[in-house]
Amino acid sequence: MPVSSFMGLQTTLRGLLAQQRALDVTGHNITNAGTAGFSRQEAVMAAAPALRVQAGAVQGGGGSDLGAGVDVLEYSRIRDTFLDAQFRGQNTVLGDRSATTSGLERAELALAEPGDAGIASLLGEFWNGWADLANAPENQAARQALVDQGRTLAEAIKTLDTQLVNVGQQALAEYADLNREGGEIDAMAEEIARLNRAINSSVESGTTPNDLLDRRDLLVDRLSALGTVSVAPVAGFPGSVIVTLGGEELVNHTTSATFPITFDPGPPGGRLGALQRIGQTTVPDYREDLRVFAQQLVADVNGAHPGFFGATAANEAATIAVAATAATLAPGSSGAPGHNDQALAAAALRGGAADGRYARLVTKIGGDLRNARREESNAQVLTNSVDDRRQSVSGVSMDEEMANLVRFQRGYQASARAMNTASEILDILINRTGRVGL
Amino acid sequence: MSVRITQAMIARGTLGSIQDVSGRLTETQRKMATGREITRPSDNPFGTSRALSLRTELDGLKQLQRNIDEADGWLTVTDSALDKMTSLVQRVRELTVAGASDSAGPTARNSIADEIDQLIKAIKQEANASYGGRYVFAGTETETKPYLVDGPDAFQGNGQPIAREIGPGVSVQVNTIGSAVLGNGNADGVDDGRLLDTLRDVVAHLRGGTPADANALRGQDLRDLDQGLQDLLRTRAGVGALQKRLEAAGARIGETQETVKGLLSKTEDADMAATLIDFSTQQSVYQSALKAGANIVQSSLLDFLR
Repeated sequence: MPVSSFMGLQTTLRGLLAQQRALDVTGHNITNAGTAGFSRQEAVMAAAPALRVQAGAVQGGGGSDLGAGVDVLEYSRIRDTFLDAQFRGQNTVLGDRSATTSGLERAELALAEPGDAGIASLLGEFWNGWADLANAPENQAARQALVDQGRTLAEAIKTLDTQLVNVGQQALAEYADLNREGGEIDAMAEEIARLNRAINSSVESGTTPNDLLDRRDLLVDRLSALGTVSVAPVAGFPGSVIVTLGGEELVNHTTSATFPITFDPGPPGGRLGALQRIGQTTVPDYREDLRVFAQQLVADVNGAHPGFFGATAANEAATIAVAATAATLAPGSSGAPGHNDQALAAAALRGGAADGRYARLVTKIGGDLRNARREESNAQVLTNSVDDRRQSVSGVSMDEEMANLVRFQRGYQASARAMNTASEILDILINRTGRVGL
Repeated sequence: MSVRITQAMIARGTLGSIQDVSGRLTETQRKMATGREITRPSDNPFGTSRALSLRTELDGLKQLQRNIDEADGWLTVTDSALDKMTSLVQRVRELTVAGASDSAGPTARNSIADEIDQLIKAIKQEANASYGGRYVFAGTETETKPYLVDGPDAFQGNGQPIAREIGPGVSVQVNTIGSAVLGNGNADGVDDGRLLDTLRDVVAHLRGGTPADANALRGQDLRDLDQGLQDLLRTRAGVGALQKRLEAAGARIGETQETVKGLLSKTEDADMAATLIDFSTQQSVYQSALKAGANIVQSSLLDFLR
C-alpha cells in the first residue's frame, strides 16, 4: 500500500502544533510564577498513533507502522500529594503556635513587668509604706501614704485581672468570628464546594482542570493553618473531595457544613485550637494564679493588720480593695500612738508568700511565651522546609522555563524546516516532474 | 533527584534570612537602647524571677537602712537628753554636798533648795525630749509629755517598748522608758528610790533644817544621788552600745546592698561590650544578606539569552 505524499506535511504539522502547545504551557508557567498555590504544568508529548501500512512497506513486501509525528498526550500538573499532606500537618502546628504567641504576648504586655507600673514594684512600695509607718506610727502623712499605696496596688491587681479577662475574651471572639456563618472558614468551605462541582464535571468529561485543582489545594492549605485538615475522595464523584476540619466534616462534594461548627472529638488544632485553649484554659489558669496571689496578700496583710483590705468576694483579684483609711489605720494593736507592732508585722511580709506567688505568675507567663515563641520558630522552620520541598517539585523555575522556551522554539523552527523540506519535495513533484522538453 | 530551585524558593529564602537577621538586629538594638538584658519576662523567665526576688531584697535592704537611720536619730536624741540629765544631776550633787556642810546656814540651804527645784524642772524638761514630734521617753504614748514640768512628778507615759526592725527578722527596742530612769517621784507617797524621788528628798532635807535632815543629806541622799548617776550612766552605756550595734548593722546592710545590686545588674543589665560586638557583627551579616539577596534575585537565565 502506498503512503500519501502529504504524510510528511501532516507529520511536521503535528510537530509544529505540539511545540506551540508546549510553548503555550511554558508561557502559562512563566506568567504564574508568582501565583500562590500554582503548580507548574507540563505538556506531556507522545508519538502520534502510527500509520499502519499493511503490506509493501519494507523489502519483502511486509507491512509496518510508520511514525506519524508527535501529539500532546496530556497537560499534567506536577505535584506531590504526599508533600501536601506533610505541609498541612506542619502548617496546623504553625497556626497553633503563632496564635498562642500573639495571645500570650498580650498577656505579657498586661503584666507591664519589669517596670515601675508593674505589680512587683507597687508591692515593694506597699511594703515600704508599712515600714515607714512602723517608723512613724503617729505620722498622718505616713498613714495616708500607706492607704494610697494600698489603693494603687489593689487597683493594679484589679486592672491586671480585667486585662487578662480581655485577653481571653479577645481570643474567644476571634474564634467565634472565624467559626461563624459567613466567616472566613465558611467562605472557604463554600468555594471548595463550588470547585468540587466544577472539577467533578471536568473530570467526568475527561479533562484535568489543573488550575481548579491548584485553587482547591490552596484553600485546603489555608484551612490547615486554622485547624487539622484531611482530604479524602468522594465515592461516585471522581475528582471531588471530602474535607474535614478538626475532625468535623467541612465539605462533602458540593455541600458545606453549617456554622458554627461544634468540634466534637476534641480541640480542632491550629489557630482555632490555640484560640480556644487561650480563652478556655490558659487565661483562666493565669487568673487563678492571680486570684491566689490576691487571696494570699489579703490574708497576710489582714493577719498583720485586721481589716486593712475589705472583705473580698469569690474572686479576690477582681474585688480586692483597701477598707482602712488614714483615720482607721492602726499601726499598733494597743492604740497608743507610738505602738507599731501591726505595722512591723505587715512590713515583715515583704519577700514572703505573696511576693513569691506573684513572681511565680510572672515567670509562668514569661516561660509559656518563651516556649511558644521557640515552638513557633521551630514550626516555621519545619513548615518552610516542607514548603521548599513542595516548591522544588511544583514551583516554577525561571531558568528551567527559559531553557524550555529555547527547546520548544528550536523544536518549532526545526518542524517548520522539515515542513519546508516536505513542501520543496512536493514542489519538485508537482511543478517540475514530467516537464521534460518544455 | 537533584533539588530544583525555583524563583519562589529563592525569594522566600532571601526574604526569610534578611528578616531573621534584621529581627536579631532589632533585638540587639533594643538591648543597647535600654541597657537591659531583660525588658520583658519572656526574654528570660528564670532571670526575671531572679531579678524580681533580688529587687524585693534590695527594696527590703534600703528600707532597713532607713529604719536604722531613724532608730539612730531616736537614740541620738535619747543619748543627748541623758547626757544633759547627767550634768544636771551632777550639779545637784555638788549643791547637795555644799548644802550638807555644817557651814551652810538655813538661808543658804533654802536658796540651794530653790536652785535644785529649778534643776528638777530642767531634768523633767530633758525627759520631755522629742524626736520628730515624738516624746522619746514616753513609752508608746509618744504624743504625751512624759513629765509635767510644773506639776506632780508622776510619769505620764507607759512602759511599752518601741521596736525598730534593723535586720531581716531582727528587731530592737529603741526607746528608754522615762520612769525606769527618773521614776515617779514620791507624789504617790511611795518611795521608788529613783532620781526624782531622791531629788525631792534632797530638797525636803535641805528645807527641813534639823540635824537628822543634815545627816540624811550627808549620808543616804548622797548615796542615792550616786546610785541615780550610776543608773543614768548605765542607761547611757546601753544606748551607746545599741548605737554601735546599729552602726555595725548599717555597714553590713550597706555591703549586702552592694552585693545584691551587683547580682541584679548581672541578671538584668546588658553586657555592653558583648552587645556592641553582637551589633556590629549582625549589622555586617545584615548587609551581606541584603547584597547577596539582591544579586541572587536579579540574575537568571533571562540575562544571558538573546
